This record gives sequence, C-alpha cells and structure tokens, in this order.
Amino acid sequence: MSLDFDAVNADKILIRYDIVVESSEKPEDIAKQYLPENQFLRQIAQDVMNLKSKDIEKHVSEALETLSAEEIIEKGLLAGMDIVAELYGRGIYYLPHVMVASDAMTRGTKVAEAALSGERKYKGVVMMHAAEGDPHDIGKNIAAVLLKSNGFNVVDLGKDILVDTVVDEVQKQKPDVLTGTALMTTTMSAFSRISSRLKEVGVELPFICAGGAVNREYVESYDMGIYSAKAAEGPGLANKAIEGWDWKKIRSNWDDIINGKA
Amino acid sequence: MATTKYTKMAYASADEMVFGEAKKPISYGLGIKVGQGLVIPEINFAPRPGSEKSPESLTKEYVDYIATDIMNRAVTLGFPAVQLENEWIFQMSNEPEKFAKPVVAGQKAVIEKFHDQYGIACAVRHTCADSRLHENGMRYGQDKTHNYPEKMMESFEVAAEAGADVISIESVGGKEISDFAVVRQDIRGWLFGIGYLGSIDMEWLWTQIVDLAKRKNVIAGGDTNCAGANTAMFMAGGYLDKDVPKTFSAVTRAIASARSLVAFECGATGPDKDCGYEGPILKAISGNPICQEGKGAQDAHADLMGNLIAATCDMWSNESVEYHPEFGGSSVQCWLGVIGYEAALMNAAKQMKQDKVLRDIYVASDRFRGAEPYILAYDNAYKIGQAIIEAGDSYYLRAKAAGLKAAELIRDSNNKGKLKLNKQEKDTLNKIITDLNSLPDEEGKFVDWALKEYKDVPAFNPKNYEL
Ligand code: B12
Repeated sequence: MSLDFDAVNADKILIRYDIVVESSEKPEDIAKQYLPENQFLRQIAQDVMNLKSKDIEKHVSEALETLSAEEIIEKGLLAGMDIVAELYGRGIYYLPHVMVASDAMTRGTKVAEAALSGERKYKGVVMMHAAEGDPHDIGKNIAAVLLKSNGFNVVDLGKDILVDTVVDEVQKQKPDVLTGTALMTTTMSAFSRISSRLKEVGVELPFICAGGAVNREYVESYDMGIYSAKAAEGPGLANKAIEGWDWKKIRSNWDDIINGKA
Repeated sequence: MATTKYTKMAYASADEMVFGEAKKPISYGLGIKVGQGLVIPEINFAPRPGSEKSPESLTKEYVDYIATDIMNRAVTLGFPAVQLENEWIFQMSNEPEKFAKPVVAGQKAVIEKFHDQYGIACAVRHTCADSRLHENGMRYGQDKTHNYPEKMMESFEVAAEAGADVISIESVGGKEISDFAVVRQDIRGWLFGIGYLGSIDMEWLWTQIVDLAKRKNVIAGGDTNCAGANTAMFMAGGYLDKDVPKTFSAVTRAIASARSLVAFECGATGPDKDCGYEGPILKAISGNPICQEGKGAQDAHADLMGNLIAATCDMWSNESVEYHPEFGGSSVQCWLGVIGYEAALMNAAKQMKQDKVLRDIYVASDRFRGAEPYILAYDNAYKIGQAIIEAGDSYYLRAKAAGLKAAELIRDSNNKGKLKLNKQEKDTLNKIITDLNSLPDEEGKFVDWALKEYKDVPAFNPKNYEL
C-alpha cells in the first residue's frame, strides 16, 4: 500500500499565499462608490457588474424611454464595465467575470445602438492580429474584450495573418492603433517587417506588440513598437493614442502609463 | 474507423504504478528502451529568432549547434540514454520539404555519430505542427487558402522518411470551443469542445498517424491537450494569478485525459507528449509509457507540481528552451543536465528498490499545492481512469465522468480540510458540479443541445467534425 498522504502536513511544505491575502471585500461594497445615480443607468450598470445578461436588453429598452442611447452606453453599460475592471484589478473578480460581463454589455449595447440617431461614436479604432504563422490567439482575444469594454471599436483581423494583409488593412481602414500578438520567437519577426513596410508607405501609428515571445527590448528595436505584457494594459496605452500622443511619446512615457502615473 | 476502447485498467491498483516502468514497454531508435526500468531524459529546444530565415541557417542552428551540443553534454555527463524532441516551427510545417527535411536528416546523422562512437542510446522525436485553422477547415479539401490539413499530414511523411524515430503532435480539435469556454468558466462548453469534438478529431487524426507510422516503420508517440488543458493551466497560473480558478483547470485536465487517450485507442504506443499533464491518467488506463515535465521545465513555464508529476513518468522533459549561452554551456546543455540528473536519481532509487519511496516523496511535495496536482497524484489519477472506463464508449459520457470524478475528489479533500481552496476556487467548483450534473445522460441529447448553444462561437464549424 502507498502512503497515507493525508498525514502529510502541507503547511510545512508550502504556503497558500493566495488564501493568506484573500480579500474579504464584497463586490457590492466596492461598486457603491462607482454606481451611477440615475436608477435606470444604475440598474444597467448593475446588470453588467452582476453578469446578468438575461434582463439587460429589457432594462436598456426601458431606459431608452427617458435617456439617450449615447448616455446609456457611456454612463450605464461602460460604467458597469469600469466597475468590473476595478474588481478585476483588485483580484476580487477573475477573468471569466470580465468576459461574461462583457457579453452582457455587448447585448445591451446592441439594443442601445439600434436607437442611435447616427453611427455610434467610438473612442477610436484598434486593429488587432496575431502574427503570420502564429496560432496562439487567446491573449489577443482577451485584450480585444477589454478594449471593446473600454469603448473602442475593435477590428480583429484574426490569427496567422500575413504581413501584407496587415499592411493593406491598415492603409484601408486607417485605425488609430495597431496591435500584434506573437507567442513564438520565430513568428515575432513579422512585427519589424510590418513596421518597415508601414514606414515605406508613409503610415505611422502606435503599434502595440505583445505575446509570450516578445519582450520590451525587441519591440523597441523597430519604429512604432510599443510593448505590452498584459491585456489589462491595452486600454491605458490606446487611450494615450486617442489623446493625440504619437508612438514616440507613448514609448518614452511607457513606465508611467503602465503604472497609472501618466 | 476502428478503435479499441479500454474496458479494464492496465494496472490492478494505483500502487503498482511507478516511474520508469510501463505495462506496455517499447524499444526503438538507436537502443532506446522506454518503460523498461530506466527513466530517460527528453530534451526539447527552440531555435534562436532569425535562424528561421533560410533552410541553411535553420539547419545549422538545429543540427550543428543544438543537436551536437546536446549529444556532447550527454556523453560528458555519462548519461546512458537521451531523446531529442523537435517541435516543428511554422516554417518547417509550411514548407516541409524545404525547411524540415534537412533538419530531420541532419539531427539523425548527429545522433548516429555519437551512438556509433560511444554506444549512447538515442532517438529523435518530431512533433509536427497542427497548423489547421478552425475557420478555414480542419479536414482535407476544406482549407483552400493554406491547405493546412494536407500540409500537416505531409509533415509526418517528410519527418518519417527523413529519419524521425517518434512522431507526435499537439492537435487542436475542439479548441475553438474550449477557448471560448475557458475565459467564461463554462465547463459544459469545455466538455463539448475537448471531451466530445476533440475526441472525434483525435480519432480522425490518429488513425491516419498510426497508419503512416506503421508504413514508415516509426513510432506513433502520442498527443497532448496542450491546446485546451494547458491553456487553462497556464491561465490559472500560480497563487498570484487571477485569470482562471485552479479548480476549473483541474477539471479540464480530467476531461482532457479522456480525449488524449484516443491516440492510444487508435494504436499509438507512447511515449506521449511531455506537456500532456494528463499522462498519469492515460498510463493508469492503457499501460503505455508517458513523458512528463515539471521542475525541469522551469525554462518554459512554472507549474504547481514540479515534483509530483514525475511520480509515474517514463521519460522526463524540459518542455522547451530557446538556444542561447548560459554560464554553464548552452541552454540545451544546462537543461539536459537538470533533467538528466533527475532521471539518474530515479534510476538509482529503482536499483536500490526505493523507487516507490521516491515516488511518494514526489507526491507528498505537491499533493496539496493545488487542485490540479491533487487530481494528478497517481492514486487519484487512477480513480479518474476508472471513472472513464466505467462510463463506456461514449466520448461525451466518459469525459463527463472524468470531470465529475475530479471535481468530487477535490471537494472531498477540501471538506476534510486537507486540500485548501480559496473562495473563487470553491465557488467555481460548486458551479462545475452543478453544471455537469445538470447535463443529459444521453450523448445525442447533449450534442443537440451543444450544437445550438455554441453555434455562434467564432470559427466553430460542425463540418470540421462531420456533424
Ligand atoms: C496554449 C499553447 C498553445 C495552444 C494555443 C491555443 C490558443 N488558442 O492560443 C496550441 C496547442 C495551439 C499551441 C501550438 C503550438 N505551440 Co504553443 N503554447 C501554448 C502555451 C502552453 C500557452 C500560451 C497561452 O495561451 N498563454 C496564455 C495567454 C493569455 O498568454 P498571451 O497570449 O501571451 O497573452 C498575454 C499577454 O501576452 C498579453 N497580450 C497578448 N496579446 C495582446 C494584445 C494586446 C493589445 C495587449 C495589450 C496585450 C496582449 O495579454 C495576455 C495576458 O494578460 C505556451 C507556453 C508558454 N510558456 O507561453 C506554448 C508556446 C507559446 N507554444 C510553443 C510552440 C513551439 C508551439 C508549436 C509550434 C508546437 C508544435 N510544434 O506543435 C505549436 C504551433 C503550431 C503552429 N501552427 O505553428 C512554444 C513557443 C516557443 C518559441 N520560442 O517560439 C511555447 C512558448 C511553449 C514552449 N515553451 O515550447 N500552443
């Protein structure tokens, strides 16, 4: 017979630091300070925060009777996502909460958008892709959700996308920010090729490059490259581009942006 | 397609399982004997960025530098046996004749030279890439843009003909659904993706790989659910990570074991792929030798079972390291030292008849480090294996049974106060148990439901699975 493993005192071998620092804060308590005053907006923000996609369409329709679609998107749906981001940042929510909340937000947004007088005004356009030859795309997909939830129009080209395709699409669709994800050291070289091809055709824009294989040193070795290690950093970096910062300014203030100081 | 499903466990009890011995041992290559009393190190590597530019530069990197360095160090340290693993990079699978053939042939020539000179036992495993894109089609004739399904099979041909001893793959059937499900903590979707669709794709793929391996006289190693369960495990990470609760990733691992087993059911013989952490469950059921990675794979990633996962391995791997210089030699030489010495420790323990003691020390070190190591400890792995074979032939039912068994094992230990769980992990576990129990007992009903539920998932096309 093998050992009685239950007799092993694991506390002498390992420490569950996650349990040691486990937060006792409740999502509702934290949310209180961020929730909108208006009862309709509040309800919608709470639907997003509580991952309730069942009633959100109904709640948005109700709110449309008294509020504008823009207001509902900005101050209800996106405000709800802000709370979710805050809870995720504090380690109270896990990533799946963010994804499911974002599904709820998307459903609500569709209803609100149908009531918009004109085109929806996004903060800006972010074009994303995973490098030529690279099938790893889950990090990119997570980043896409966080960017959408922050009010960006995300154009996702997909994975294993040819350098040529990326360059063509950038010229055609003129995004504010381009992003690339590579998890293999043998595919990341596509990024420097994209950078030089864009330069040739006279296009300059911040090009956020991420994924397990890349590091800051490599990304900063070609023009336009802005490094990111975490999907949660995406909105912060893209926001700077919308504020009019060019890639050089973003790059030289990178540490401050990432640490929330700029 | 004819596959033989297991109806009986290969081992009469969990305690019978130990590293370096398998019920179905195999011999191949230049004197390699797996599962016959010795644990063998398997060293895996990645070329430096830039070397992929031309076939010449890539061959130089893989053959003159990497393979030669490895063999030199293996002899220098007196290791009796070593296996090289080459995970094909995109350029190799995209143009196998041009980029892969010279590499495969060159590596073989290097190991032959060392074998002839020193008698060291050696072999090379080639893990061809599964570049199939779900959105473009996974079966022949469907992908008009890249022809990836055809290229994948061509890769195996080229590998086998140019000198591969073992062929393997990290196949991606069902990944489009598991990717969607893992970030939503949706265990039912995950079960559909990997447990059901993944198994169907495995059957299609592995019947062909085994057939090819027989024709070309090479070993059909095995698969890994890297695409699903490892994605979950990497996202679950360690104690500081908050992306996926570790109870979720543990249950995905159990489900994945029912899927990775299909390779053996199609006639693969092992050693399976190192990163298939589901290995102990497969070995318990089938008796085929397995390759594992843990503390010697810190070059590639950190996991919570660095010691535990060695308990029943037949080969011991470093997962992969990029070729570069270290103070102690090149990176492949240093990491070969790490895994080669670990194998020596296991082999010494075996000779002194202390192997089961060492096995249990490995397990005791990490058993309670997290939910995933807990269910992969050989005694629990064995119980999950039993749940799989008792569930019968249905891919759905057996994967579900594996997932439920894992969830229950975790819950019971937590209730006893042994395996600790944080609040998210507990909440997630309860939801998993409820969700799995709410599913129908008939495969047909489940599939009908799932096809509707997941019809809008990006890149999901039932035709990829003949559904
Ligand atoms: C899961 C996985 C796979 C899955 C991918 C599933 C998927 N949907 O992506 C599958 C099985 C398909 C796969 C295949 C292969 N893989 Co793989 N894979 C991995 C693994 C284990 C985890 C990757 C992962 O998902 N990480 C989690 C995600 C969330 O991380 P991420 O993408 O980096 O994203 C984070 C950040 O980078 C950032 N981010 C990403 N994108 C963006 C975008 C923006 C805008 C922002 C702001 C942030 C951002 O945010 C995320 C975190 O918040 C890694 C191991 C490792 N150590 O990384 C190997 C790894 C990447 N794979 C590797 C290899 C070699 C392969 C194969 C070539 C093996 C083979 N021969 O079969 C094949 C590829 C086949 C092909 N077509 O060419 C190697 C690469 C080695 C190298 N030096 O290049 C690795 C490192 C493993 C190893 N050590 O050997 N793999």
